[in-house]
Amino acid sequence: MTLARDLSLASAADAAQVLRIDKVSKRFGTFTVLDDCSIDVSEGEIVTLLGSSGCGKTTLLRCIAGFLTPEKGAILIDGRNTIPVPVNRRPVGVVFQSYALFPHLTVEGNVAYGLKMHGVPRREIARRVADALASVSLRGFETRYPSQLSGGQQQRVAIARVLVLEPRVLLLDEPFNALDAKLRGTMQVELRELIKRLGMTAIFVTHDQEEALTLSDRIAVMRGGRIEQVAPPDEIFDRPATAYVADFIGLSNFIPAEVRDGKVTLPDGQTLATEAQGPVRVMIRPHNLRAIPQGPGPWQGQVRFQRNVGPLIEYTITAGQSDMHVVALRRDRIRPWGEGDAVSLEVIDPEFCKVYPEA
Amino acid sequence: MRLPDRLAIGDLLGTATIVALGLFALFLLVAPSVIVLIISFDTRAFVSFPPQGFTFDWYLRVFEQRVLVEAMLNSLQVGITVTLLCIILGVPTALVCVRGQFRGTTALSIFVLIPHMVPGIVLGVAVLFAAAAIGVSPSIGLQSISITVFVLAVMVRTLMSRLQRMDPALEEAAANLGASPFQTLRTVTFPLLMPAILAGAVFTFIEGFDNISVAIFTHGFRDRPLPVELLALVQTTNTPLVAAVSGVQIVLAIVALILVASSIGLDGVND
Ligand SMILES: Nc1ncnc2c1ncn2[C@@H]1O[C@H](COP(=O)(O)OP(=O)(O)OP(=O)(O)O)[C@@H](O)[C@H]1O
Ligand SMILES: [Mg+2]
Repeated sequence: MTLARDLSLASAADAAQVLRIDKVSKRFGTFTVLDDCSIDVSEGEIVTLLGSSGCGKTTLLRCIAGFLTPEKGAILIDGRNTIPVPVNRRPVGVVFQSYALFPHLTVEGNVAYGLKMHGVPRREIARRVADALASVSLRGFETRYPSQLSGGQQQRVAIARVLVLEPRVLLLDEPFNALDAKLRGTMQVELRELIKRLGMTAIFVTHDQEEALTLSDRIAVMRGGRIEQVAPPDEIFDRPATAYVADFIGLSNFIPAEVRDGKVTLPDGQTLATEAQGPVRVMIRPHNLRAIPQGPGPWQGQVRFQRNVGPLIEYTITAGQSDMHVVALRRDRIRPWGEGDAVSLEVIDPEFCKVYPEA
Repeated sequence: MRLPDRLAIGDLLGTATIVALGLFALFLLVAPSVIVLIISFDTRAFVSFPPQGFTFDWYLRVFEQRVLVEAMLNSLQVGITVTLLCIILGVPTALVCVRGQFRGTTALSIFVLIPHMVPGIVLGVAVLFAAAAIGVSPSIGLQSISITVFVLAVMVRTLMSRLQRMDPALEEAAANLGASPFQTLRTVTFPLLMPAILAGAVFTFIEGFDNISVAIFTHGFRDRPLPVELLALVQTTNTPLVAAVSGVQIVLAIVALILVASSIGLDGVND
């Protein structure tokens, strides 16, 4: 019944929609790992599943690949329900966290593997393998075995091995984990460019928010098997839908407050209109706060800690009971505050604060 | 000159002890075989150590005695049969025990072990009685089957430990790339199991070739395997001929190990 509705929706509403995850739930025994997860992914889009360890990212990915079958919900690719389709018939390519390269096959053998399984003629296999290896700059490595490759090269073989089959959706489970920090940064940018150049649709899994911000067109923040918010990176950062997302992405200050007449009063006296009611928490980003010379203002504090991070200065300022994070741009002519200095705090733009109901 | 401090001396003593123990263990392992080999070249017609003189005569005599040559061929046949049976039965059993998704896989893996835990003599007698009860008389076939039952556990355990250490993502990757379950087995699981199969084959072959505890009850009346023949020989003669027969077996075992080690590497054998 839902399937019929989804099919008509998929064909009518959005022709460019490639993957639809519709109200998927998955349990292991009595433990619910995925709870009513829905995401729509359109053609050529890169979506990241972001969340802390154990929140169900890998499980959702494995449901899409077909290694797991969800108890409830549907997973549609190009409008067709894939739940009854066996793993080896799904138009989905998986890049495993361990890369899972076949150790007994050469680079060429690994990349040709899928084509052979699909019964592609020999000639065509050779041509397509060469193209795939060229697209990941691995020409000349054909006869090497996986154990003779660096981590970065192994990763590229793993990618070439699925790209060569031209899957509709590419699934990557923490593909940068095995790489050292420096290589990780360059590979992230390279991989995004490659996927964009090929016009592939991809889902990345990561628990590293910087990686998510680098790679994604949209980020799905997961928490305890539920999807908290799906939105582009800047929206996730600037307008987090829930306090959890705000806390998870970037550094945040949370201040308890009370709503009166549809308004909250910030500690520095400014007010902010809100639709929330009762006790709330106001989220203020560190770069939306300013430390000024101590004046008559109502929000007084003392610098507890300061450090230079390249172009920024980070302060921890003790104000009343709580520690506030403040970030300022480093400028030549302004002397930074030192530890122990007494300051006043003020919010730069109240509209940029977010109000969440008290949990 | 500075004296090494206490810790360093302790370390030194510890290392020396370990090395000494290691050498002693090596001596215990190697000495009997070396002594047998040395005796087999003795020129005197009775077993005694140290030997006097050097000759290949005893080895020539081994191959001149039809009984011994036939016993060797019998043992060879049993060894090969046992190995093949262990591969044919062991691979599916190990796959089911490790990859099986139903209850009872643990019970099955323990069940396979039981015959190996029972003393060979007990197993041999049991097979003999059971065979007699259903009217089957001892033969090369019966001997092969009962030794297979005895050593199947070695093959299954070797394969299971390899399967358990195999990244399950490899088989998932194969499926994701379009391979059916059977194709996955043929193109990924089997090739990766090959070193373990070969390693298991070496051990099961050697067991099939020179097992005596099970064989002595189950071998065919006219088809005596080498160990049984050797036992009879030891009871009737005291010439280095016995040592030469042992020498042949030692060389055979070493050759088998070297063959496998060179084709799959020592790591594979260690599986
Ligand atoms: N086969 C299984 N049986 C039982 N529970 C499982 C199984 N697989 C995963 N889980 C549980 O499901 C939850 C989600 O696991 P999952 O691997 O999806 O997390 P994840 O978000 O990928 O975490 P990580 O970032 O650590 O990889 C975890 O609490 C895990 O313990
Ligand atoms: Mg995971």
